[in-house]
Amino acid sequence: MRLPPFQFLEPTDVEEALSMINTRKETVKIMAGGTDLLNRMRLRLIEPAFVMNISKLRDIDGIDVGETETVIGANTRLKDIARSPLLNKRFRAIGEAAFLVASPTITNMATMGGNLLQNTRCIYYDQSGMVLNGLERCHKRGGTLCLAVKGGKRCFSVYQGDMAPALIAFDARCVLEKKGSTRTVAVTELFTGNGATPFAIGADELLTKIIIPQPKGMFSSAYRKLRLRGSVDYPLASAAAFVSVTKDKEVNACRVVIGAAGASPKVMDGPSNEANWEGMAQKAYEYMEAVDNLQMDGAYRRKMVSVLTKRAIKAAMDRLKEGM
Amino acid sequence: MNEMKKTAISLNVNNETHDIVSNPNKTLLEVLRDDLHLTGTKESCGEGVCGSCTVLIDGAPVRSCLTLAVAAQGKEITTIEGLRAGEKLHPVQEAFVNHHAIQCGFCSPGMILTAYALLKENPTPTEAEIRRAISGNICRCTGYAKIVEAIKSLAEEGR
Repeated sequence: MRLPPFQFLEPTDVEEALSMINTRKETVKIMAGGTDLLNRMRLRLIEPAFVMNISKLRDIDGIDVGETETVIGANTRLKDIARSPLLNKRFRAIGEAAFLVASPTITNMATMGGNLLQNTRCIYYDQSGMVLNGLERCHKRGGTLCLAVKGGKRCFSVYQGDMAPALIAFDARCVLEKKGSTRTVAVTELFTGNGATPFAIGADELLTKIIIPQPKGMFSSAYRKLRLRGSVDYPLASAAAFVSVTKDKEVNACRVVIGAAGASPKVMDGPSNEANWEGMAQKAYEYMEAVDNLQMDGAYRRKMVSVLTKRAIKAAMDRLKEGM
Repeated sequence: MNEMKKTAISLNVNNETHDIVSNPNKTLLEVLRDDLHLTGTKESCGEGVCGSCTVLIDGAPVRSCLTLAVAAQGKEITTIEGLRAGEKLHPVQEAFVNHHAIQCGFCSPGMILTAYALLKENPTPTEAEIRRAISGNICRCTGYAKIVEAIKSLAEEGR
């Protein structure tokens, strides 16, 4: 299917990009790798008047691993994140998540910013016009009903990004710039929790950087994902675990963030040791929105998210033990 | 309907410069096939899943169906037509022929370019690395055993 018509913009630096979106606001869509945007355009889910290509902006591309924080440019290719030895050593879950995104060819194109800001999905929404014309207009398409949950008063579309759960596990923040101002917010604050309009970002804002603070003491992490095939597919459930220990090797923090669990990643904090893995897994089971609107049924995805939670915690704990 | 203006697009494909005037909404795949008549690059799913439209951009395999032609300017694009030297097939192509790694041939251009990029970066990949590299290229005929064997034969030569 051909892409709809648009005018093409290609800024040479961030400042020019901010000016371009400042004057065009909602009429412009930002393209980095293009792997999410072009598919949505092809399905006519969006038909922007302007497409702004930011893939050549080198000033927001790259990984800077520092002592107190690590900065990843929004334009950094996922391949570079998956292959960065320093980043992988320190933030294993983030490297693993990047490694598990789609397929290697896609990660040669897809970027950190694009992955983070990919739209929510639902089998009653991500379809061609031919299919959608035969369906009633749902919340995501500006209607008043949900086709996945009968009587649903809101949109239950699912956020299927791999990177966000891993970043949130490390308390990452992101930098949003617009002409004349910059703000830094927690990655969790990017999400509204509403599938119809999943992101709390202004139309004139550009995501430029991700900042990961350096955790204190000894810590480790892991990311686990459920999908139909061993490659290509979006997560149908996922879990990123972060575990840290005191000098006495007592677990003092455990955080699990589950993905493909609703319109935003869901965060679970709690102390952890072997005895309460079950508790975290139970929490994940309860937090998961088990709706039949993806390629596997909701009940199975819900069971699997608790399994993935345990596997991610165990992998992070095993890595900690190896490092001790 | 949104406004759209035709634009001059200059592409470096297989070390040749091609200047065309086209709409910005054309994908690299459409320009390669429709404007440059380089029909070795195939269209199948059209949504970045199957890998049959794979080309190399600056040496890395990418989906040409998810790449705008206008955004590929200033980069080195390699298609399957750019691999052979004159009438002589590239060793990766030879290996696919010799190992019967081709049945209908539709996935072959993407598969071969992906294998070529892998071997260029890592001349001695393990089987696991080979399988990982081609995991975004879908074949619906031969299964993957012969394809993996073909790539492995070159990896062994590289050792």
